[in-house]
Amino acid sequence: MNERELQDAVGRLPKSIDPPRDLWPEIEARIGARASSWRRRWYWIPLAAAAAFVFLLIGRGERNAWDVTALAGRPLIGTTRLAASGRLRVGDWLQTDDSSRALIAVGRIGQVEVRPDTRVQLVVASATEHRLALARGTIDAKVEAVPRLFFVETPAGTAIDLGCAYTLETDSLGKGLLHVTAGEVEFQTGPRSSRVPLGALMQIRPSTGPGTPYVDDAPAPFVRALVAFDFGRGRARAIRNVLALARPQDALSLWHLLQRVDPALRGLVYDRLAALVPPPPGVTRRGAIALQSRDLEGYWTRIQRIHFRLTVLRGVRRLDPRTGATARE
Amino acid sequence: MPDDLVARAQAGDQTAFRELYRQHAGRVYALCLRLTGDGRDAEERTQDVFVRLWDKLRSFRGDSAFSSWLHRLAVNVVLNERRTTSRREQRVMPAEDPDTVVGAQHAAPVRGSGGLSIDLERAIAELPDGAREVFVLYDIEGYTHGEIAELVGIAEGTSKAQLFRARRLLREQLER
Repeated sequence: MNERELQDAVGRLPKSIDPPRDLWPEIEARIGARASSWRRRWYWIPLAAAAAFVFLLIGRGERNAWDVTALAGRPLIGTTRLAASGRLRVGDWLQTDDSSRALIAVGRIGQVEVRPDTRVQLVVASATEHRLALARGTIDAKVEAVPRLFFVETPAGTAIDLGCAYTLETDSLGKGLLHVTAGEVEFQTGPRSSRVPLGALMQIRPSTGPGTPYVDDAPAPFVRALVAFDFGRGRARAIRNVLALARPQDALSLWHLLQRVDPALRGLVYDRLAALVPPPPGVTRRGAIALQSRDLEGYWTRIQRIHFRLTVLRGVRRLDPRTGATARE
Repeated sequence: MPDDLVARAQAGDQTAFRELYRQHAGRVYALCLRLTGDGRDAEERTQDVFVRLWDKLRSFRGDSAFSSWLHRLAVNVVLNERRTTSRREQRVMPAEDPDTVVGAQHAAPVRGSGGLSIDLERAIAELPDGAREVFVLYDIEGYTHGEIAELVGIAEGTSKAQLFRARRLLREQLER
C-alpha cells in the first residue's frame, strides 16, 4: 500500500461511530449527582454565610481559617498570590500551578501538603470537623487526632481520616488513587466504602467510587484482576482470577470482596480467604457469608493486625504471612 | 444544530442536554475510540467528555461552531486522562502489564464500514500511543502539527516524526 492509498482509506473512515451501548444512563447519573451536590451547596450557602456573620459578630471569625505556607512558587488563595504565608478561610480556594507547592496547617491536628497543579477548598474548620474539598491534584495529609475529625471530599467520594498519613490524588472527574502510609483511611461514596490501612493503595473511579484496596507490593496480575472486577466487565471471570492469584498478604482485598461479590460467590471468596488467613475464634463461615457485622469485624481485626506486622517488619524480621507470627527457620 | 438546544442545555435543561448527547455521541465516541485504541476506554472517555461538557457548557459563547468546540473539549479530556493514567501507572503498575500496551484486543468492533476500513481501524488501534494520537489528530481530524504539539505537549518536530512513523507502521500492517 502506498501513501496515497493510505490517505484514500483514511478519507473513507466514518466520522461517527455509534457506541456499542447506550452511555446516557451513566452520564445522567453523574451529572445528576453533580447537580444535586450543587443544589445542596446552594442550600448551604446562606446558612454558611449566616454562620460566618455570627462568628464575625462575636469576634471568632479567625477561628475559621487555617495557616498556609508557600513551600515553592507562589500559590493562589482565591485571586491573591501567596508570598510566604497566609490564611485560608472557610470557602477559600487554594490553587497551585505546575511549579508551586503549599503546606496547610489543619487546625491543630495535622498538616496537608498541596502538590503542584492542585486545587483545594477549605469547607469546614471547627474543633469537631476539619474538612477540605480536593477538586483536582494531589495532597499529602498527615493527621494526629482521634478518628473522623478530618475529611477530604473528592469528586468521587470522601476520604475519612482514622488517624493516619496518606496521599490522595484525583482528576477533576474523580478518577484517583489513595495511598496510605500510616494508620487507616476510610473512603466512602454513598453506601459503598473501603478501609485502606497503611501500606495499601486503592483506585477510585467517578461512577463507582472506591475500588478494592490492595497492598503496595501486590503483583501486577492480581492488581489487574482487582481493577477488572471493580471497574471493568466480566466480573465473574475477574473474581476467579483474583482468588487464584491471591496470597496471604492479599487478605485485606479478599475481605472487601466478600462484601462485594454476588451472594452466590461469597462462599467461594470466604473459603479462599480462610485458606490464606485462618479466621480467629468466634468468626463463623455462616456469619461471614451472611455479612454479620460481628464476624466481619472480628475477621478484619485479625487481618489488619497481621497486615500491620507484615508491613512494619518488612525486611526486618521474617514473618508467616498467614498468622503474622515470626517464621521458624 | 439548533442554537436554542445549546441555550436550553446551558440553562440546565437536562432534556436538551440529552438531545445534544444523542446528536454528538457518535462523533465523540469515534474520536475517543481512535485516540485510545480501546473500546472500553472509549466508552469511559465518552462519558467523561459529556460530564465535562455539562460542567463547561456555560462557558460556550458561540465564537465557533458548537461541534468544533465540543471536539476540542473531547480531545483535551482524552489526552489529559492519558497523561494522568500514564503518570499513575508508571508509579503504581509494573510496566509488563500486557493490558496497558495491547489495546487492539479490546478495540470495539466498528460497524457500518467496509473491510479495509475495519482493517485500518484495527491497525490504528495497534499503533503505539504517541504515534496513534498524532495520526488520529493530523490525518483523521485535520489538526496542524502546531496545534498537536500544543495539545499533546510535544515539539512540532516530534509530532512530524510520530506521524511519519505511524504512516509507515500502518502501511506495513495493512500489507501483511
